Amino acid sequence: MKLFRSKKDKWNKKVSKLMKQSKKMDDLQALLEACQESNDFFHYEHTFENDTLWISYYKSIVDADVLHKAVFPYLEKESLNSLEKVQSLIPVEKTIITSNVKDIEKNLLNGHMIIRLNDQEKKCLVVNAPVKKERSISPPEVEFSVVGPKEAFVESIDTNLNLLRVRLPIKELKVKEFTIGKLSKTKVAIIYIAGLTNEENVNTVKQRVKEVEIDQVIDSSYLTQIISDNPKSLFPQLLDTERPDRAAAVLAEGKVVVMVNGSPHVLIGPTNLTEFFGAFEDYFLNPILASAFRIIRFFAVIFSILVTPIYVAVLTYHYELIPSDLFGTLISSREVVPLPPILEAIILELTIELLREAGARLPTKVGQTIGIVGGIVIGTASVEAGLTSNVLLIIIALAALASFTTPVYQMGNTIRLIRFPFLILAYMFGMVGVVICFCFMLAHLLRLTSLGRPFLEPLYPPRLKDLKDSIIRFPFSWNTKRPIQLQTQDTVRYSKKKARKKKDIDE
Amino acid sequence: MSSSVPDRLKVSPGLVFFLVTSIQVGVGILSFQTTIVEKAGYDSWMSIIIAGISVHIIIWLIYKMLMKEHKDVLDIHVTIFGKWLSKVFGVLFVFYFILLTISVLRIYIEVIQVWMFPEINLLVITTILAILIFYIVNGGFRVVVGICFLGFVIPLYLILTLLFPLEFAHYENLTPIFTHSIKEIMNASITMTFSYIGFSTLLFYYPFIKKPEKSHKYAHFGVAFTTFLYLAVAFVTFVFYDEEQIKTVIYPTLGIWKIMEMPFVERFEYIGISSWLLVILPNMTLSTWAASRAIKRLFGLKQRIALVLILVISIIGVLFLKGYHMIDIYAQVVTYIGFGIVYGYIPLLFIIYTIVLKVRKSK
Repeated sequence: MKLFRSKKDKWNKKVSKLMKQSKKMDDLQALLEACQESNDFFHYEHTFENDTLWISYYKSIVDADVLHKAVFPYLEKESLNSLEKVQSLIPVEKTIITSNVKDIEKNLLNGHMIIRLNDQEKKCLVVNAPVKKERSISPPEVEFSVVGPKEAFVESIDTNLNLLRVRLPIKELKVKEFTIGKLSKTKVAIIYIAGLTNEENVNTVKQRVKEVEIDQVIDSSYLTQIISDNPKSLFPQLLDTERPDRAAAVLAEGKVVVMVNGSPHVLIGPTNLTEFFGAFEDYFLNPILASAFRIIRFFAVIFSILVTPIYVAVLTYHYELIPSDLFGTLISSREVVPLPPILEAIILELTIELLREAGARLPTKVGQTIGIVGGIVIGTASVEAGLTSNVLLIIIALAALASFTTPVYQMGNTIRLIRFPFLILAYMFGMVGVVICFCFMLAHLLRLTSLGRPFLEPLYPPRLKDLKDSIIRFPFSWNTKRPIQLQTQDTVRYSKKKARKKKDIDE
Repeated sequence: MSSSVPDRLKVSPGLVFFLVTSIQVGVGILSFQTTIVEKAGYDSWMSIIIAGISVHIIIWLIYKMLMKEHKDVLDIHVTIFGKWLSKVFGVLFVFYFILLTISVLRIYIEVIQVWMFPEINLLVITTILAILIFYIVNGGFRVVVGICFLGFVIPLYLILTLLFPLEFAHYENLTPIFTHSIKEIMNASITMTFSYIGFSTLLFYYPFIKKPEKSHKYAHFGVAFTTFLYLAVAFVTFVFYDEEQIKTVIYPTLGIWKIMEMPFVERFEYIGISSWLLVILPNMTLSTWAASRAIKRLFGLKQRIALVLILVISIIGVLFLKGYHMIDIYAQVVTYIGFGIVYGYIPLLFIIYTIVLKVRKSK
């Protein structure tokens, strides 16, 4: 802790030193000189018919088209004796005249250019002309859905906000912007619906975002790791999504959305465990179908975590559990295998992890080939070589498949890793070990919170009303109230009476 | 140290149902049939009901007592006995809860040793379980209640296993009824009450309940459910086993699991015993929580330190107990203490407390 603190102190000292240096640059000349050390800074005198102007900007972040089309043509034949006149002549919105060096510096670095009458002048006209280089909106790749909207967030926060506001055209949708990161100066937006979302939740997020101490925020996942209730936990406590439709839907439920400039994923909180097993596509399907798929997914996850540990436990200690008919199959598949079940399982699990990792890191086309080659060749070869039994191969392949059914990628990662402690305890204490590990997991989940709200809700604390949209999805006409977990100010979504009105025969 | 609890730490009154049931059902349900059948044969199902009713009365007494001033038992001790003498009685409870934890832990490990792993390393398994208990109790009362809830809900599937032995049932076992004298049935009832005790933790967690007066009925529901569970298990045991046979079996419930056969699994007792950890975990966590909280309230020690102390004592206690007979005698001593607390001390406390309050009022 002490070591940590001393490092932090050093860092703070460095920062304050830098700050002092920047304070020295109080006058504009020093600032411009400092800027000119960089080769992408343009600083020159532009000659018009009657007059000249000094123009300075970073060419890498300023759109020169604005200069050519919206500034120069309007100034050509005028006499330019004051900045106010220049300001009134050019048809660019939100131009300001200032001599505050700090403002000028900030604007210069944010895609503005400054115009001055002569090189000694302290007053500058700041013209907004940022260059916008952003990816166009593309279909979601991580949370793909067959039906439903095909838009995904991009890296630009403005585009992302646009995608949200189009879906919720109400004035109650509030956006609070913050800047965090000592070097990256990343824009972070906290979005919620006023009068609906619980103020406490909003304030928690605001406070945590404000208190963030970091030099760089590259992606929203940085923020997840800092503002989560328990950053050490394997389980993600903030849901991330790339779907604007999902973000809009949870805002209407009364949740808080955090957007980070430069990240195509937004964060959603408070969330709960069951939400990680629901794909947003579930809402596009008939409720019965959706519920069935959710249940399948839920069992797939339990299966994926428990099946290999149970295999190890049974084959290491409790052969008696296996019925005699099944025993023959197991014996014939395992008789040539020289390794104990735990080693056999760990080898195969690691192979699968390797394949996954390799597949994820390689370019798409090569990745697919590796997956197929690895899966078929290594699998069959290891069985034929007698290193593993084919029963276990089937089990592990199924478990891997099952772990892919989780719609949220981060949860999939958690499930990948969490089975290893289960395996070790299964090897030590058989079935008792599996249950001990399961109890540890339960206790951990019970202790987790998401923005201060219980993470295991609606399972614990048991809230039957919230169970209507968790593992099973009831029809829209049943879910007329917002989740209790969120403690919303306005709990009613729509009138239950109207939604569930039944018509008599022939009415 | 006052007993007031901030609102965010409180749990809803409905959860008292799980708190009461989950601590009553523990290792006892694996073996209670043997002890009651010894005394009242197949008539002992009546004893289960009688014992259940007596527990209802005690719960009613506890609620009457606690609802007067909405305080926990340690405050009541102070009101009655004064500042110093009250500590002695508080310490008695602490000892009882520690002894109870050791007894549950040891019996469970004994079951594992006898049925699954004769060679298991006692120190390792006890330490791992102690760490588990620490991890849960360290999360606070909310997490302890969560474990009680999940420790009730998840193993609920084990009730289905009671249907399998009915294939071999001899329903005529149950008739004729009243083959035993009232005295024998009452004797069996007293033995049966041993399986119900443990709910005295209610005296400690009462201030942690939101709107505690509303939780009264849930506590009774909890006892009613426990009674139902014991009756169901006893019924299946009685129709499945011969009367003389039950007396010779130590764990009749486990014996029932032995005959279960499904296409993909045989010898269900391995799964049953493993899942049983979830059933006994509430017993241990709730009593260690109560003990550590009592220590904190009595001596102003940090609850986390108290918890570590309790768990270290428990580990040593478990290592000290060896062999079935020693464990059996120990468990009996603990149940007698529990019996004394529930049926002797609590009614006595109720009477004294009522008198003290009356006297004060008249003053």
